[in-house]
Amino acid sequence: MGEPTGSAVVVEGLRRSYERKRQEPRVALDGIDLSVAVGEVHGLLGPNGAGKTTLCKILSTVLLPTGGRVEVFGHDVVTDTAAVRRLLGIVFGGERGLYGRLTARQNLRYWSALYRQPRAVGRQRSAALLERVGLADRADERVETFSRGMKQRLHLARGLIGDPKLLVLDEPTIGMDPVAARDFRTLVGELRAEGRTILITTHDMAEAEAVCDRVSLIDGGKLVATENPKTIGDWLSTYERVVAEDVPEDVAVSVRAVPGVRDATRSEGSLVVETDAAGAAGRVVELLVKAGVARISTGKPSLADVYLHVIGDRGSVVR
Amino acid sequence: MIRDNARVLAAAFTSALADLRAIYTWRTWSFAWLSRILAQVAFYAVIGRLLGSAERTQYLLVGNAVFIAALVSLLVCASTAWERQAGTLPLLVAAPTSPFPLFVGRSAQWLLDGTMCASIALFVLSPLFGLPMPMPRALLALPLIALVSWSTYCFGLVLSAFVLRKVEVRNLVSGLSSLTLMLVCGVQVPTTFWPAPFPQLAEVLPLTHGLGAVRDLLSGAPAGVVVGGAALELCVATGWLVVAGLAFRHLAESGRRDGSIEFGD
Repeated sequence: MGEPTGSAVVVEGLRRSYERKRQEPRVALDGIDLSVAVGEVHGLLGPNGAGKTTLCKILSTVLLPTGGRVEVFGHDVVTDTAAVRRLLGIVFGGERGLYGRLTARQNLRYWSALYRQPRAVGRQRSAALLERVGLADRADERVETFSRGMKQRLHLARGLIGDPKLLVLDEPTIGMDPVAARDFRTLVGELRAEGRTILITTHDMAEAEAVCDRVSLIDGGKLVATENPKTIGDWLSTYERVVAEDVPEDVAVSVRAVPGVRDATRSEGSLVVETDAAGAAGRVVELLVKAGVARISTGKPSLADVYLHVIGDRGSVVR
Repeated sequence: MIRDNARVLAAAFTSALADLRAIYTWRTWSFAWLSRILAQVAFYAVIGRLLGSAERTQYLLVGNAVFIAALVSLLVCASTAWERQAGTLPLLVAAPTSPFPLFVGRSAQWLLDGTMCASIALFVLSPLFGLPMPMPRALLALPLIALVSWSTYCFGLVLSAFVLRKVEVRNLVSGLSSLTLMLVCGVQVPTTFWPAPFPQLAEVLPLTHGLGAVRDLLSGAPAGVVVGGAALELCVATGWLVVAGLAFRHLAESGRRDGSIEFGD
C-alpha cells in the first residue's frame, strides 16, 4: 500500500434515531463529528448503548443515517454504497458471523467469492490468511469445533479476505484469552504498518491504549472527546477508588480533606473514596491505616466511572 | 458480472452440501429420513387402496410422492433463517456482491434432497402398490420432479425473505405454505375440487403444473401435453424467482432503513 494521506473516514453531524410506536424516537447518534486519517488505528470507547455499534453499522453500510454525512475514502455511504463496500472489512466480536458447518478454509473461500475474487486468488489469500492468524493446521476442520479464540482469529481473517482499506472491528477481543488478545493486538499493529485504516470499538481502555493512535469517547450518542491513548493511560492511573469499612466519621472528614480526593461517600456501611490525582489513593490508605481501619481495598474504577469523571470534567466544554 | 454471480452460487452450493453432510449421514438419511418419507407416501396410498380404487391409489401415491419434492424444498425457509441466527446477515448485506445469488445457492441441498426423496418414493412405492410405471417413459418423471423442487424452492425463497425479518415464524410459514400446496395444488384432490378462488390460486403456485405433467406422463398423455405442463411450471418458477430477487432487495434496503439488521452478538 502507498503512503497514507488524507482522511479515510469523515463523519459530519451524524444522526441516527429509531422510530418507536407511541413513543418519542430513540436517538442512538446525536450529531457526531469524527475524522479518521488514512492509516490510523482509531478507537471508539463507550459504555453499552453509547452508539459505538450504530456508528460501525452506518460505516459498514448496513444502516442508513437519519441525518448528517459519512464518507469512506471519499465515497458517501448512502449514495455510493457499492464503492464503500469494496473498501471495507468487518469483524465482529463473539462467535457469530461464521458458518460453523464449514471448515475454516471453506469459510474464507466462500467470502472470497462474495468479494468477487478469482478462484485462484481466493485460494491463495485464504491459505495466506489462515497462516497469518495461526489456523493453518486447523484449516480443514469444521469451525463449530473451534474454541472462541480460534473463531475470533478466523473472524479477523474473514474480515481481511477482501483486502480492505478500512477495517471495522466491533469488540474484536471479546472472549479471547489474554495470550490470544495480545497476539490480536500484535496483528492489529501489523495491519496498521501495512497502511490499513482501522476503526475499533472496545470497552477495554487498556486495549485502546495498546493499539490505538487516537481514541474517541462516545456516550449517549454524542462524541464526548477524542484523545490520544496517552491521555487514556493518564485517566487510568489518575482515577482510583478506595473502599474502607467501619470508618469513624471523624476519620472520614479527614479523608475528604486529603489533596486529590474527589469524593468520599457512605455506601452500605462502607466509605467509598474516589481520587483524581496521582498518589492520592496511597495517602488515603496511609491515613486510614494510621486511624486503625483494618478493612481496606483499592482498585481502578470501572470504565463507566471514568466516563462519568471525564464527562463531568469536560463534557460541558467538549460537547 | 455473470461469472461473479456463478462463483457466488458455486460457493453457496458448496456450503449447502456441507450443511447437508452435517445434518445427515448416509445411514440417517436412508433409515430415518427416507423411511419416514416412504411411510408418509405409503399412508396416503393405503387410503386409496382402502377405498378400493386403483385409480385413486395412483392419484394419491403420485400426488403425495411428488409433493415430497415441494415439502422438502420449502425447508429453504428455515435454512435461510440460519443466516440471521448465525449473525452472517449483516456481513452478506455489506458484501460488494448482491447476496441474492448466495441465497439461491445457500439452501440448494433441499433441491437434491427433495428430488431424491420424491423420486425414490414414486419409483419404489408404485410397483409395491401394483401401479403401472411405463418404462422408459416414466423416467421422464425425474426431471419433472426436479422442476417441481426448483419451482417450490423459488416460491420458498420469497417466503424466506419474509422469514428473515421474522425469524420466529419460520416454521409456521413453511408449515402453512406446505399445507396450502398440499390442499390446493392437486395432491390429494383435483384443483377443481375447491371453490374459487383456490383453483385460480393453484395456477400461480408451484407444484400444480409439474404434478399435472407427471400425472399426464404416467397416464400416457401426448408429449405436447406433458411438455406444456412442464413449461407452465417453469414459468411459475421463473416468476417466483423474480419476486424472490425483489423481496431480498427489499429486505436489505428496508433493513438498512429501520435498523433491523443486527451486528454481531
